[in-house]
Amino acid sequence: MLQLIADGFVIGSVIALGAIGVTLVYSILRFANFAHGELLTWGAYLAWTALLGFAAVWGPMEPLGPFSFGWTLLASLGVAAIATAALALLVDLLLFRQLRRHGSAITLIMASFGAALVLRNLLQFIFGAVPEYYSREIQVAIRLVPRDVLGGLRITPDQLFVLGLTAVSVVGLHLFLTRTTLGKAMRATSINPQLAQVTGIDVDRVVRATWIIGAVLAAVAGVFSGLTVQLRPQLGLDLLLPLFAAAILGGIGSVYGAVAGGLIVGLAESLSVPIVGAEYRAATAFIVLIAILLIRPTGLFGERP
Amino acid sequence: MTALRVEALEAGYEPGLPIVRGASLSVESNEILAVLGPNGAGKSTLIKAIAGLVPVSAGRVLLHDREITGRAAHRLPHEGLGFVPQTENVFVNLSIDDNLDLAASILKVPKKRRLDKLYALFPDLARQRRLLAGRLSGGQRQMLAVARALVGEPKVLMLDEPSAGLSPKLVGIVFEKLVEVRATGVTIVLVEQNVKAALAIADRAAVLVEGSTRIVGTARELAKDPQVAALYLGHYRGDT
Repeated sequence: MLQLIADGFVIGSVIALGAIGVTLVYSILRFANFAHGELLTWGAYLAWTALLGFAAVWGPMEPLGPFSFGWTLLASLGVAAIATAALALLVDLLLFRQLRRHGSAITLIMASFGAALVLRNLLQFIFGAVPEYYSREIQVAIRLVPRDVLGGLRITPDQLFVLGLTAVSVVGLHLFLTRTTLGKAMRATSINPQLAQVTGIDVDRVVRATWIIGAVLAAVAGVFSGLTVQLRPQLGLDLLLPLFAAAILGGIGSVYGAVAGGLIVGLAESLSVPIVGAEYRAATAFIVLIAILLIRPTGLFGERP
Repeated sequence: MTALRVEALEAGYEPGLPIVRGASLSVESNEILAVLGPNGAGKSTLIKAIAGLVPVSAGRVLLHDREITGRAAHRLPHEGLGFVPQTENVFVNLSIDDNLDLAASILKVPKKRRLDKLYALFPDLARQRRLLAGRLSGGQRQMLAVARALVGEPKVLMLDEPSAGLSPKLVGIVFEKLVEVRATGVTIVLVEQNVKAALAIADRAAVLVEGSTRIVGTARELAKDPQVAALYLGHYRGDT
């Protein structure tokens, strides 16, 4: 039981970080971006590319303490975050920005489907379809709770790293949104873009910040997924529905809702495995989503219209 | 000194389909100018075009003799032009304090000093500063909208139908407050359907018809002009 909960939190961390981007883009740009999953995949693969680059210069990665990865993966994560943000800004410049001027929300949504296909196929063309790993080091899981207490709990240092960095990212985002002028401007723009403009907020700058934050968190989520599972071109596509389930469950537009939603979806998926099997775990997340929306249609943290 | 001058302005939402067609007006410093006219005359479009929210296709807008034509809406509050939209003019999910605090952060004005001044001007808001703006009554919301637009100490404040949806008593309270705001040295441009209330506080008025300025005069002259009332101001008569 404890093990399933811990696994659920690890899966939920990846989903939560991805769902924040979905919900931010929805609340500020007013459309559901179905290409967001691909930013996770690109983030993961860009980090892998950077890692290969570092390895070519400084030799193979030496593991850092109990972790399966060394400092070069952390540096690669930084490189991937910047490159993924640049990719998101490029897609916005070439596609979404043009459509925002004249298109409707449905046009943007369909365009995001197209962007997702292009990004996924381009990635597969460049990197191939064979799964990859950041590290092939074998990790020994740490026993945190003995087996006779609720089945016990073992967790790998990499999983602890994922949980810790997710917590740091969420707290950092909270401080950014509540303490900085740009963060407050983002909140204001999500409430009322035209009023934000006449208050002196540069909405284009807010839009850029939205893409950058969403893409950076997507890159982090992608690397976490690659670190705890593996790198696959379908990574983002497989996570897309859980990302949207989490964003809707938490109340679309709410950052804190996306985090809570991500963790709930992760837990629901994990806890359902012994009951329905791994094949149907995604369906369990949707049953939870439907149940919560029936009780609270705006989601956990959503504002009532 | 002229605070705001609009010269032969053309503006509209679609290219080639101007709603404002050659409107001109000028507002002297510390004056209240009412912009009046029948429904669909282009009053709101004119004020939004000045505020940078509607594309301008021809003409000029000068703020204290500095051209601001077509400038992005978000830059104008930094340059001394405040705007209060007709609807959705406060951030409903934020408290009164947060609405004003946000504007102060964005416009980089000393928060405490400015907010203390505004709360002195709007004591009703000061008493419930932690209340969500969405929970305010229509009149209080309008007061907050005006206070928010005043955070950056604008030279010119433009309001789009501040009386819309308010009871006559509340209209009176809001308009009295505008007179107090003018007394602090702010020039006011007021787009209004409520002709009687607007002319009661305005120094001068401009009548807009089919997107262009037809008549400009003192509020007193316009209030007594039966032709103006009959032609452009609907049911209103100066003597009622």
